[in-house]
Amino acid sequence: MRARLPDRAEVVRRDGVRVAFEVFGDGEPALLLIPASPITHARSWKGLVPTLARRFTVVTTDGRGTGRSDRPHAPECYAPAEVTADLLAVLDAAGADQAVLVAHCHAVPWALYLAADHPERVAGLVAIDPAVAVAPPHPHTVEPDRRWADPVGAPAGWSMRNRHFWRQDGGYREWIEFFFGQQLPEPHSTKQYEDTVGWALDTDAEAMIAEREGRAAPPEGEAEALCRRVRCPVRVLHGSDDRCQPVARGRRLAELTGDDLVVLEGAGHLPHGRDPVKVTRLITEFADRITGASMHATTWTRGLSRPARALYLSSPIGLGHARRDVAVAKELRRLRPDLEIDWLAQHPVTAVLDAEGEHIHPASRWLASESAHVAAEAAGHDLHCFQALRRMDEILVANFMVFQEVLEEDCYDLIIGDEAWDVDYYWHENPELKRGQNVWLTDFVGYLPMPDGGDREAFLTTDYNAEMIEHIDRYPWIRDRAIFVGNDEDIVPETFGGDLPAIRDWTTRHFSYSGYITGFTPPEPDEVAPLRTQLGYRDDELVCVVAVGGSGVGQALIDKVVAAYPLAKKAAPELRMIVVTGPRIDPAAFPQRAGLEIHGYIDRLYQHLCVCDLAIVQGGLTTTMELTAARRPFLYFPLGHHFEQNFHVRYRLDRYGAGQCMDYATTDPDLIATHITELAGQPVSYRDVETDGAARAARLIAELI
Amino acid sequence: MRARYPDSEGLLVRDGVEIRYERYGDGWPAILLLPAWSLVHSRQWKMQVPYLARHFTVVCFDGRGSGGSSRPADPSAYSDVAFASDALAVMDAAGIDSAVLVSASRGASWALRLCAEHPDRVLGSVFIGPSALLVPPLAERRVQRFDEVIDEPVGWQTYNAHYWKTHYPEFVTFFVGRMFTEPHSTKQIEDATGWGLETDGETLAAADRALEGSDAAATRRLAARLACPALVMHGTQDAVRSYADGEALASCTGAPLVTLEGAGHFPHLRDPVHVNLLIKQFADRVRR
Repeated sequence: MRARLPDRAEVVRRDGVRVAFEVFGDGEPALLLIPASPITHARSWKGLVPTLARRFTVVTTDGRGTGRSDRPHAPECYAPAEVTADLLAVLDAAGADQAVLVAHCHAVPWALYLAADHPERVAGLVAIDPAVAVAPPHPHTVEPDRRWADPVGAPAGWSMRNRHFWRQDGGYREWIEFFFGQQLPEPHSTKQYEDTVGWALDTDAEAMIAEREGRAAPPEGEAEALCRRVRCPVRVLHGSDDRCQPVARGRRLAELTGDDLVVLEGAGHLPHGRDPVKVTRLITEFADRITGASMHATTWTRGLSRPARALYLSSPIGLGHARRDVAVAKELRRLRPDLEIDWLAQHPVTAVLDAEGEHIHPASRWLASESAHVAAEAAGHDLHCFQALRRMDEILVANFMVFQEVLEEDCYDLIIGDEAWDVDYYWHENPELKRGQNVWLTDFVGYLPMPDGGDREAFLTTDYNAEMIEHIDRYPWIRDRAIFVGNDEDIVPETFGGDLPAIRDWTTRHFSYSGYITGFTPPEPDEVAPLRTQLGYRDDELVCVVAVGGSGVGQALIDKVVAAYPLAKKAAPELRMIVVTGPRIDPAAFPQRAGLEIHGYIDRLYQHLCVCDLAIVQGGLTTTMELTAARRPFLYFPLGHHFEQNFHVRYRLDRYGAGQCMDYATTDPDLIATHITELAGQPVSYRDVETDGAARAARLIAELI
Repeated sequence: MRARYPDSEGLLVRDGVEIRYERYGDGWPAILLLPAWSLVHSRQWKMQVPYLARHFTVVCFDGRGSGGSSRPADPSAYSDVAFASDALAVMDAAGIDSAVLVSASRGASWALRLCAEHPDRVLGSVFIGPSALLVPPLAERRVQRFDEVIDEPVGWQTYNAHYWKTHYPEFVTFFVGRMFTEPHSTKQIEDATGWGLETDGETLAAADRALEGSDAAATRRLAARLACPALVMHGTQDAVRSYADGEALASCTGAPLVTLEGAGHFPHLRDPVHVNLLIKQFADRVRR
């Protein structure tokens, strides 16, 4: 799911060619983001758009030849005059009299023409890795480019940039895979690589050939003259390891236009994809400066006049973190009564926080929805959560930018992030932005590949783990305290993959253990019967609670359990089944049967789970551990392809001797009915779950302030 | 020892009054650090000069009645016009066509006059804890009777021309204590007390009488003519001029207000880092 959808998505039509554009936000000034089309399109700005659109009007265009635009195959259609006319038409259609242009690679000459020939339309230009012939090209591209039109047999490397090769079966794809492999020299760039290759494959070889042959970029001499004609402020960003455009070109462009050069050391050709935080900040600062955004009213509080404050981030992805985080916050307040706690959180965490009277920071409204993304990633009883997290990249960076702005406006002593992936990742990527003591909480460590993902998935999870390990090794001061919600024995006896260390050893070296945090104290044995009565359950009925959490992922499981109900009821007539669908599934969509109650929502569901005779749930950690702590028999169905539920949670539950793990795919209603009749009401012998986890976590946190 | 010494300094004479000024650095734009009440002199900017001079040309001068400048006895020598004219003369002498003005406390009225009457010389104006006189004095200052003879005056009653003749050091001690309400301000208090004792009660009284013609309406008229970018910062614990004065100045100039929560009257001495960053940020935006 996108982090932000456009306010307008339209096309302009010039000489029969449609060019797509999108508009986001309505601030001043307008920014026109110009991709190096058609090898890429507007989505290449995805890491920047949500943040920039909160401040500015952001206009993106796909450019002719790709995306939602037409793909003419005649070279003359890609002449600079045509492309710049498109861009003016887009500005007109978007209602932008003037804009700051942000252009990448060979889009920079287009932007320079616009700035030179239409100065009234261009307030400034950010040129990223400019392909402007003000300095020689990379030597490795000279010979291949000279032989662009020559027939080739089986070229390799840069020689694949050849019109005949692109027309060969698979040739264009092979070139693209090579090219973007070169353009992302930064380690751990798998997602950016997949994205850029995918966007490049949204066009076709003929459009690419036509663009390349019609491009008519200004040659040396002309390029210098063009740069000298530009009067508006220009900022140049250039990766030091750009293998497409030599950094000398960026340097020379800056010399010709006002000396505003930012060399991104260690970056390749796609810094807006790989380092979106830094690039967004550089663009924002530039736009503010050239448009003279005035300073605004603020409050700065003297250091010793500040109350101690914490900003608590609670991940909405697992849906179960809110309660444990509230429990930790309460314990923390007992230790530090003067500590003010604000929450940067989103639905559904905010529902829990509101009910508890917690203070939610107003900037929370800017957060892009993570839970909606996860729900959109799920299908049936399946959620590939590793890939869902990877595809959440633009949401994570958008939300990180909200977080960072909050920190730069307000003063916090302490950041507590319960699986706040955005903060943890982007602070390690941009360590200069860290402020305050930082606590990281998680209940699992290590991405694990699903077996059917094959070598590719194993490679990817290993790469993600390696990046995390390198982050911690290089910047041990980013996480002031890392807390594992659980115990060392809960950690899977696996490695991080490849040559990487064993997960448990590494975690023990880098984390403190809080024990499990239930977020509530389960009833003592003698309290169960009164609570059961209070909740309206009789002693002589077998109460089976079916719950699927708050996302829309549970429909498939409920269908199967409801189908099992008549069979189970026949075998155990005292059965009473309570199904809780959650807010995203309509309870009316299920058949009505005697003894079967279907609810959208039940207040304090955990109490019902604590007194039931059997529960049927998904494989999420929170609910299964609540059942473990309350010593209830339960069946749990890990979501397909959900590595955390299938490996981490299952391993932990096995250690507690808790629950019956079920495979959704191979389980039919008969089997469910059999398990219901066999397990309901039976005593269990689980390992004890500690009840002091929240207090232990709070003590570990309180030591920091 | 100072953190940085002036690159040049000079003494100019205007209407028989000597004005001592200093110039640092050579960046653009220039920043003119204006004097405040003659109780302090240009060393009040000691925490700003070394930092700002690395980025900008910085000019400061001792206001008439303080530091190395003359101490005229005639109250008319301390008019707003006189201070504003001194500022222009210093800019001329230092070779500065135009500058960002930074003023504290009473310097606000001179800055406002320069903005209104010499817009070509002013790029922007930063007001720190301005004595804009737009709101009534703080409640505790209502006991002030400047020309009455008061037996054993206490507190703000010591703001008194007769008392200053005999007990000037006591007054300085009291007043400087009100300037720095922040805990742990001993060094700032010692500094400002020392500067205050470099002048005398008669001079300060003469300077103070020049204020008598100022009122809110005059300030508003000047503020309405302010066309350059401006910034106001004011401490919420300012015990000399109320925070409401800064709010009022921001409101009638349209300038953004930076509220300095917990800060007193001279945050540029007590919270120099934050004030320096704000001035730099402001001047950077003017610079474009």
